[in-house]
Amino acid sequence: MSKLSRRTFLGASGSVLALAAMGRPAFAQTAEIRHFWWGNPERDRRTFEVIDIFNGKHPDINVTGETLGFGDYFTKLTTQIAGGNMPDVIQQGYGVLFEYIANGAVVPLDDYVGKTLDISKMDQSAIDAGTVDGKFYALSIGANSHMAMYNSRLFEEAGIVPGEDFDPYGYTYDELAEFAAAVKEATGVAGTDDNTADYQNFSDFVVQKGAMLFNEDGSYGPTQEIVEEYWATWEKIRSAGGTPPGPESAGLAGVSELSQMGVVTGKTAMTYLWSNQLVGVQSLMQDTLGAAMYPNTPDMVPGSIVQPSQFVCLTRDSANPEAATTYMSAFVNDLDMTKVLGLERGIPSQSDVRAALQPDLTDVEARSVEFFDKIQGKTAVLPPPPPSGSNEVEQTFERLAVNVLLGERPIPEVASDFLNQARAILARA
Amino acid sequence: MQKFFRRNFAGYAFLSPWLVGFFLLAIGPILASLYLSFTKYNVVRPPQWLGLDHYVYMFQYDQRFWKALQVTFQFVVISVPLKLIFALGVAMALDKGIRAIGWYRALFYLPSILGGSIAVAILWRQLFNYDGVINSILRLFGAEGPYWLADPKYSLWTLIVLAIWQFGSPMLIFLAGLRAIPQELYEAAEIDAAGPVKKFFAITVPLLAPVIFFNLVLQMIEAFKSFSGAFIISGGSGAPLDSLLFFTVYLYNEAFSFLRMGYASALAWVLLLIIALFTAIAFWTSKYWVHYENERG
Repeated sequence: MSKLSRRTFLGASGSVLALAAMGRPAFAQTAEIRHFWWGNPERDRRTFEVIDIFNGKHPDINVTGETLGFGDYFTKLTTQIAGGNMPDVIQQGYGVLFEYIANGAVVPLDDYVGKTLDISKMDQSAIDAGTVDGKFYALSIGANSHMAMYNSRLFEEAGIVPGEDFDPYGYTYDELAEFAAAVKEATGVAGTDDNTADYQNFSDFVVQKGAMLFNEDGSYGPTQEIVEEYWATWEKIRSAGGTPPGPESAGLAGVSELSQMGVVTGKTAMTYLWSNQLVGVQSLMQDTLGAAMYPNTPDMVPGSIVQPSQFVCLTRDSANPEAATTYMSAFVNDLDMTKVLGLERGIPSQSDVRAALQPDLTDVEARSVEFFDKIQGKTAVLPPPPPSGSNEVEQTFERLAVNVLLGERPIPEVASDFLNQARAILARA
Repeated sequence: MQKFFRRNFAGYAFLSPWLVGFFLLAIGPILASLYLSFTKYNVVRPPQWLGLDHYVYMFQYDQRFWKALQVTFQFVVISVPLKLIFALGVAMALDKGIRAIGWYRALFYLPSILGGSIAVAILWRQLFNYDGVINSILRLFGAEGPYWLADPKYSLWTLIVLAIWQFGSPMLIFLAGLRAIPQELYEAAEIDAAGPVKKFFAITVPLLAPVIFFNLVLQMIEAFKSFSGAFIISGGSGAPLDSLLFFTVYLYNEAFSFLRMGYASALAWVLLLIIALFTAIAFWTSKYWVHYENERG
């Protein structure tokens, strides 16, 4: 055919369209499921591997993974809520989760339990943590606690022996000031991060002082005295020479990427994070990391909590909740998959998963488990979920604490400024 | 009317992709944001009508709003004149008829292409880090540089330098303007023994005034809207101590960190009014210093 008339062209393309339309039902049987999480290189590697395993076992479901750093994760999710195109399965953290439940973006799982979703082996405490008003919303994918991670090589060079010179499971801020300065003296590397602008450490300290971050009525718990004492405590450690200079720490206020942490960049010998992050941080380092609890006051009132580190949740935008819950169920139960995930997201909430992991724990995972055993009985009770606005209070703390790090304004003034702003934020939320 | 349409139908048909885009993607969202600025809207729940509450709160109680205005004004007032002076200086140097001028023009324009990008903002952060290139160079001369980014005294200056570095597009426009000035005027001035300074202020500036005015308005608007550099260098929050809290960064935070889309919309409208006001002021003053050749005076 030398000449292609308009009609024959249209006819030909029409039949191509018809063929394509006829072919569709065959494709439509595959349920497309999107899983979105915040991660780090180590977590992303493991999760993509798990998705491949699942897709291999379930030809009728095709899971695709999407990942972002923590800093951008919730921003992206927000725009997806607005657009009505949230992924089917999302990762959530204790705290933010409750705002999503209240807003209806995350939907209950009760209809799928016992059908596509198996939670028969999950710890009751983990189920309770994911339950709000009698409805089950969130599948715990690991528990964690506050953990201080120290560079063993630098401590060794400075002659600081954990367990002898200080008890990693019960040491005071004064002791920290002493050995941090000793590390700096011997190695030239600051012994510890400066946590003046670290809200996680502050929240730990508040509970150590016998207060709560949020009172039962949702009002803000810390008092002027507690805020002042917290900043004065770190000022003491700073002036003893154990931390980097104030302006350097100020530049890291609010930074959450693991690659920017003091132990990873080599700026400090001790960094304060969540226990499940040990695996991720260790994968970015040559030197071996040791695990310790957060420092405490001489009264040794527990300040750290054990909480579900992360959940997977089903969103209201999921077009195929059966397939999505099938995937979620496998994510926490399928031993081939949980083996790959290991302890990177925290200690799993299923007894059989824990037992199956035990024989093949890597060295760093064994350290996580040991840490968890050692802190039993030394932790505080899980507080009620934070009210909305808590995220903004946290950012306000990080912002104002920079005043203290730079020595711009006296501590009492900044403390009362912070408390006033925190109360205003909670009143407005 | 019908006749009009019949005659112009083809024209409108060709325009339609742009018109659809304009009404759907520009006017629609703009009007929606005006409506949302009077509501409480957190994306997940439908908007609730609040009336003028957001605007009252903004002007009466919101300290960070005033801080954001202050930072933004500081940035505009310092960076725009410096950038224009720098661009004009380079344009005059290039106007001398140097060899391979095309290459120089392209080279000097390069930062403007790259300047707004995220990659350059990240690079900038590395340069001005305490252990970064700038301080390493200072150390070669025995000087100890400050914490450029962590110290609120210096942080805004790193962004002003970044803005000046993107002098390419005003420079190209200046260059075109300089070319349009008749050489006879300079020659005549030289015969009258005018020096370079005299020639600059008596010939170049007055004849270039329309171009200066154009660049001023354009760069001012751009500076008010500047976002990505401050966002990246401050880690998204305006840190340290809100010294990089550009108006747009504050707006972004209110919208996407705290989900106050209604309040953020109100902020956006206030920014629009501020830009409109300053543009109007610029146009009003131009009567007194910008003269066009074809004007009858």
